[in-house]
Parts: sequence; C-alpha cells; structure tokens
Amino acid sequence: MAARQRSHPPALARPPRTDHYVRGTLLLLLIWAWSAAALCAPHEHKQPVVLAPGYAPLEFTAPEPGSYGLPPMGAAADGDVLDSSGNEARLHDFIGDKPTVLSFIFTTCDDVNGCPLATYVMRSVQDALQADPLTANKARLVSFSFDPLFDTPDVIDAYGSQFRAQDFDWQFLTTEGAATLDPILSAYDQWVIRDYDANGDYMGTMSHILRVFLIDESRQIRNIYSTSFLHADTVANDVRSLLIEAQKNANTAAKTSR
Amino acid sequence: MILRAFLSAAIALALIVQPTAADETCMSPYMAKIVGQEDYVYIWTLGLEGVGDGEDKLVTVDVNPDSETYGTVIHSISMGGRHEAHHSGLTDDRRYLWASGLDTSKIFIFDVHSDPAAPKLHRTIDDFVEKTGGVVGPHTNYALPGRMLVTGLSNNRDHGGRTGMAEYTNGGDFITSVWMPTDDNLQGAVKAGSFADGYGYDARALPRRNVLVTSSFTGWNNYMMNLGKMMGDAEAMKRFGNTVVIWDLHTRTPKKILDVPGAPLEIRCAWGSRSNYCFTTTALTSKVWLIYEDDAGEWQAKAVADIGDASKIPLPVDISISADDNHLWINTWNDGLVRLYDISDPFAPTQVMEKQIGEQVNMVSQSWDGERVYFTSSLLASWDKTTASEGNDLQYFKLYNWDGESLTPEFNLDFIELGLGAPHQMRFGAHALYGGTSAQSPSGLGTPPAH
Repeated sequence: MAARQRSHPPALARPPRTDHYVRGTLLLLLIWAWSAAALCAPHEHKQPVVLAPGYAPLEFTAPEPGSYGLPPMGAAADGDVLDSSGNEARLHDFIGDKPTVLSFIFTTCDDVNGCPLATYVMRSVQDALQADPLTANKARLVSFSFDPLFDTPDVIDAYGSQFRAQDFDWQFLTTEGAATLDPILSAYDQWVIRDYDANGDYMGTMSHILRVFLIDESRQIRNIYSTSFLHADTVANDVRSLLIEAQKNANTAAKTSR
Repeated sequence: MILRAFLSAAIALALIVQPTAADETCMSPYMAKIVGQEDYVYIWTLGLEGVGDGEDKLVTVDVNPDSETYGTVIHSISMGGRHEAHHSGLTDDRRYLWASGLDTSKIFIFDVHSDPAAPKLHRTIDDFVEKTGGVVGPHTNYALPGRMLVTGLSNNRDHGGRTGMAEYTNGGDFITSVWMPTDDNLQGAVKAGSFADGYGYDARALPRRNVLVTSSFTGWNNYMMNLGKMMGDAEAMKRFGNTVVIWDLHTRTPKKILDVPGAPLEIRCAWGSRSNYCFTTTALTSKVWLIYEDDAGEWQAKAVADIGDASKIPLPVDISISADDNHLWINTWNDGLVRLYDISDPFAPTQVMEKQIGEQVNMVSQSWDGERVYFTSSLLASWDKTTASEGNDLQYFKLYNWDGESLTPEFNLDFIELGLGAPHQMRFGAHALYGGTSAQSPSGLGTPPAH
C-alpha cells in the first residue's frame, strides 16, 4: 500500500460533544443506541426498535459459496483518504488486491440498525473468515467514515481497535473533509443528509441509508447490502464465492498460458 | 437531535420491519417509508389522443392538506409520446422514481429528491430489450439494495407471455437479466403443479426468508389488443399466466413453480416479523390466493376467497394490504368497485365492505396509517372504457378518508377535464425524506409499527 504521510493535522473544528460519544463494549453500544432511538422519538412514535436480521442467526441456509453468480454492478470509485494512522492514501490502495467488504459509517451513529449493525456484521464476517485457513488472509474489511469532522484518524483508530482482531486486515479510513469525502460518497451513491442548526452551521450529525459494498479484485462492485439484507453468513459466503471465482480464473489462465 | 434521530429511525429502521401496506404498505421493504402525512402523489399517466398534448406524463398532485395548493395538480412532465405508461417504483433511497412503458419498453428515471414538488427526467433507458436479451414490457420497478429489479411481461420473439426480469443499478446501468422458468427450462425449479408458463408480472421480496415471489399476466399481443376483441378470441384468452414462482432471493434462481390459474397480478406480502405469506388475486378467476410457507418450510398456494361473482368478470386488479396485516383493499376494474377484506385470518379472508369508486377503478394506494386511500382509474390503453354511465367518473385521481367504517370522498381530479390522460400508478413523496419540510407544515416520517 502506498501511504503518504499527511503534512499537517486537518484543521477541522470539532463541535462540542456532550451527548453520546459512548464507546465500550459492543453490547453497551447497542443498549445505548436502542435507548437513544427510543428516547428521541416523538411520543406518538415511541416503539421498541426491532433489531435487524443481522443481529440474529440467519433464518435460512446461506447459499453455497460458488453456486451462484454475483454480476458486476460497476466500478468501485477511488478517492483521497486518510488511514487510521493519519497517512494520506487512495481508496484504491485498500481495494483491488483481494475481495473487500466496504462500509460507510460514522463512529457516533446512534441508529442500532445503521452503522452499529454494519460494524457488528463485519466483525462477525471477520470471525468467520479468520476461522477458516482458506480465507483467513484472503479478504479485507474497510470501514470508511463519512464524518471527517469528528472521526479523525485517532478517533477511528480507537474505534477500530475495539473490533479488529489481531492480524486480520480490517482497515478504518477517514478523509480530510468534505472536499475529498463528497466525491467518494457521490461515486458510491451513498446518500447522506447532514444536519444543520438554525444558523446554518453543521451540527455534526447526519442521516443516511445503510449500504455495505462487496468489491472484487478487479475493483468491481459485486453486491450491495442494506439493513434487511446484511448478515454475516451471506456476506462471508459471498466473499468465499469471489475467492472461488478468482481461483477458477487463475486456473483457466494457467491452462491457457501452457 | 430529535429530528435527526427521528429521520434516522424512519429511514433506516423502516428497512427492517418489513412493512408492506398499501402504497406505503406495498413497496419494497428495503425502502424508507412515509408513516405520516405525504406531501405529494406522483401519478404515472397514460397519454390519450385528443386529451391535452396526448403524451404520457408524470403528474404531481399536492396532497398535504396544510398546503395552499392542496388537492391540485402542481406539476406535469410530458414524455414525448405514448409508451403505455403503467407501473412505477422508487429506488431504495427514494431519490429516483422509475416509470416504465409497456409498449415501447422504455424506462424513465425521474429525480424526485432535488425538488420533490417538481420531478425532473434524469435518464431514459431505451435499450431495455437489447440489454435483457429480448425481454419486452418492463412492468414492476422494485427496489433492492442499491439496485432496481424490473419485471417484464413479454418477449421480442413472439410478443407472447414468456418473459424475464432485469436488474439495474439505481443509476440506470444494466446489471443482469434472468428468464422465468418454463417446461423447456425449469432452471432447477420444482414444478409443483400443471404449469410452468414462464410468464411474468409483479415481484415482491421477503428478505428474512430469502424469498422472492413473482406472478404472471400476459404478453404484448394481448395487453396491446382491444379488450373486446381479445375476449372474443379463444386462443388469445388461453395465453394468460397461471403461475406464481418462488425464487431464492439471494441467488435469483427459481425454486418452485406454483399453480395459481387465472392471471395472478399484484403481490402484497405481510409485514409481520413472523408472517411468512403474501396475497395475490387472479384477474380471470376472481379469487384471492394466499402464497404461504407451511410448517414444513414449503411454499404453497391456496385459493382462500372469492371476489364478487366471477361469472360477471369483475376483474380484480390492484390490491393493498394494511400496515397491521389485518385488511386488504381489492379493486375490481370492470365494475368500478373497491372491496375491503378482513385478512386477520389469512386462510379465511372475509369481505367487510364495498363501494363504487368510478366507472372503472384500477390502482389503490393507502397511507401508512390507512387513513387516506387514493384511487386511479386506468388499466391499459386498449382495455380502458371510453364512456361512463351517469354519475360515474371515467379517468380520475381520487382521495377518500377512511375511518375504519366508511370511505368519505375528500377530492376528485378529472384527468380528462384537466387534459392529462389516464392515470395509473401512484407513488408518494415527502420533503422530509430529503431533510426538508413542506411549505406549510412538516411531513411526518417515522418508524413503522413493529409487529
């Protein structure tokens, strides 16, 4: 990976955060997020949050890896990013050499079925792939923040350290700011509503639709998962399907070259 | 904070509860829902010769009662000709509305987020037939994560009913297509009954069960033929779909072909988190069918109720399930009636009321809370009636208020008098979906009820 050291810290003013930067165990995170969602909803809409299927055992048997197609959905875009050490890099530095699962998140996201779900599922995918010698080092996870104001490299590094297993290739990325972030979000069709106060100042919060991308070694998007669809069993098998496909392609290429 | 949490909950949580009621209740479970007051209804409208400019249109009606332009057409965009405007559907992020033409096989993608009060044409897909390898008549535009599933009605070889489905990115780039299973090529599916006709029409997903359900109508030769001529053509009348197909949603492969004779059309699946069933109605045999997963995990089809007197050909068309899964609105086009069925026992639906809506009635869309029920009239250009009996409306968009007992008229827009055409599919819009508020009052977005 070609990483470039950032010349200076990003000059971003961090808004006062007195509310919900709670980071502990995942369980604590989930409990807090559930509470926040329940407490913040207007009275007439107070309803218990129904957890996404990704938090529970899959209700069906995930299709057998390699038994189905994952038609390419278009090229995965590039852009300027910062890694969790603050190094300047390109997004393509982190996708293309092996199957990659990419999620857009922000660390203060309080919707239990949004970013916390993505991170929970990706950790489960990590566990599944790491437990299998055939896949342990052959895939990558990337969690990409779309809140550069708050999610500095230090923050995403601390966030990632809670979930990343030792020796597993799970990268946590952010950006310098909106100028580099927005083109990436646009290219991935990742829609975000940023919240502004009465003075037009960004409040540091946002709403978004959850999307997680499966990207192959040719930097083609091969699947997109949203809340109802995101489950570790199916994502892991999709990764395995790409690995089987890559092996078949390699075998074919080897035969052709003989 | 409250607004943000509220919006966030509405957008994300709505995706997992699998609500599927009327218009808001009948759309993809992958999509954010409007559970409060909708601001706009987008009506995909068939152009009629001699009516206005005669072109197909996307018509926007202001339906927010706090707005100064409530109950009026506030925007219309013409499509440069007639394409047999029929169904439309929103992308999973509700930023784009896909509207397709059954005749020309064109798909028009409208931007409804930049200005929800004035949709604009974003892109036109005019190579659907070529890209799909011969699928004709794009019908249902159904949101899947980051992509659209488009069902077909026909094919370019014989313009009969054998057809397929296509997938596109939300931006309109072709991904792949698959043909419906037939006797010639079951594609690994189990043929459970007598039919494997390969016909298509609607599609709905139950992601929790990894199931996609499709239904079957008829091909271009029939849906573009004069209705009276077709009804008198015994051979043509044989060429209607008799199947519902159960697919593996993740792999898009057909698993089981169920006999549902008589052209099963719209599919509406229950929202309940443990409810593994969907409803459809058959146009020719006038029955309610339950498509359900039995205790052994096998998907089955069962006729569970009659709709009117089948010998009078009431012709069931659109249906709409309530958010609590207890009621199903059923329109019968030929007699212009809407019927409400109690489906609290899905195996024994019972009719609880009926009401004359117009000379003909096709689509029905209800708000998430079920308090507002919208109707449009048009079925197909060659099938629509051209005259109405005294007191009945012919081509209209109507809103009724529903109090649990009766439908009360709220407003009625005559699409002929307004020079617009024949209104068909309705979809809802709201400023709050895009972080804004309406001119007069905020629209409500929220978390759908948990079951």
